[in-house]
Amino acid sequence: MMQVQLTVNGQVYERETTEYKTLLHFLREDLGLTGTKEGCAAGECGACTLILNGKAVNACLVLAVEANGAVIETVEGQADGNTLSDLQAAFARHHATQCGFCTPGLLMSIQDLLRRNPKPSVDEIKAGIEGNFCRCTGYVQVIEAVLDVTGQLPQKGALKHV
Amino acid sequence: MNHVFQYRLASSFQDAVAGLAELGADARILAGGTDLLVNIRAGLMAPTHVIDIKAVPGIDTLTYTPETGLSIGAAVTVNALMENDAVQAHYPLLVQCAHQLASHQVRNRATVVGNIVNASPCADLAPPLLCLDAAIEIQSADGARQVSCREFFVAAKQTVLRPGELVSRILVPAETADGQGGYKKLKRIQGHDLGIVGVALWRQRDRVRVAVSSAAPTPVYVGEFAADEPLASVQEALSAAINPIDDVRCTRDYRLFMAGVYLRRLWQEVV
Repeated sequence: MMQVQLTVNGQVYERETTEYKTLLHFLREDLGLTGTKEGCAAGECGACTLILNGKAVNACLVLAVEANGAVIETVEGQADGNTLSDLQAAFARHHATQCGFCTPGLLMSIQDLLRRNPKPSVDEIKAGIEGNFCRCTGYVQVIEAVLDVTGQLPQKGALKHV
Repeated sequence: MNHVFQYRLASSFQDAVAGLAELGADARILAGGTDLLVNIRAGLMAPTHVIDIKAVPGIDTLTYTPETGLSIGAAVTVNALMENDAVQAHYPLLVQCAHQLASHQVRNRATVVGNIVNASPCADLAPPLLCLDAAIEIQSADGARQVSCREFFVAAKQTVLRPGELVSRILVPAETADGQGGYKKLKRIQGHDLGIVGVALWRQRDRVRVAVSSAAPTPVYVGEFAADEPLASVQEALSAAINPIDDVRCTRDYRLFMAGVYLRRLWQEVV
């Protein structure tokens, strides 16, 4: 067991953890922050994407002990109480979520993308979410939500839906 | 994780190699973890200890000088390489190949050195480092040694690393700076995927070098050619150098065919 201290969405947590526990399981099981999802557990699907010290990473590929001292942002940090973030509200408006399992990861990837690039093109949005699998939407609604929240919403029907 | 192991944070390379000497094959070096943790979870590796080297001072240092070339520390991530101004200016082929490696999230953890040490035949950073004639700096309890990248890979997922050794840096020589090139990689989907076959071509003035991924048990350096060499003889050298397999993603014949197609297209674009 090791002692770890980390800051998640501005709140400091100090816990003992087994050394072989992933950051993802630590957040979900030890801190009760279940917004971050486990999909493939192999760094392919992006459902567990969060922001670790300012960089988007797959939480399934990080040990909790590696995150000792880190500053972490998860999807729980986006809404303010019952008020959705602008990005979450755009997701809702554009039906960018269906089953919802990939949504927390997509929201965190896009939060990271918009910090690096506040007005991404369609191609830049696609590159920004290439590490997030969505099996429901076909991604076009997600791209429209990002265009909307960055003030670039195209004419209805400009993007081909699949 | 479904496998129990202990975690050590190494404070120096000496500390890390002392851990390897003490624990032997039961220990694994942890840097980005994007291969190691997946392999542990899949039951392919079962270390009793992982030794995290990310806290070794200077290990995430990436430097370039026109005299000495590029030095890539063992904890430099793939994104850090891609975003570096000197790498973009002087070694654009590295950036092009890094773009093909996994996703943004994975590249924020995955290290350049890890991509080489893992020695997958499909390692996307192996072809450019083979073309650029990179050297691999290896540490052990006996000190440091250097091996050419072209001698580093022995077999599928096997390298010349001996028990108790770890890679501390990759050194890209100054004399291969300021070339240009391209990397074409066949995948099942447009998004991030393991390569089916990949061809990198690098040109500096009148010389051209070619290397291939996913077409043999290791990444393959095909060789250096003059820019006025007939394409047919380069194609012949490529076919002789690679030895692809049939597998779930593709047949041997199609890999051979597409390697030739990609070489031709790169030759037309770059040479």
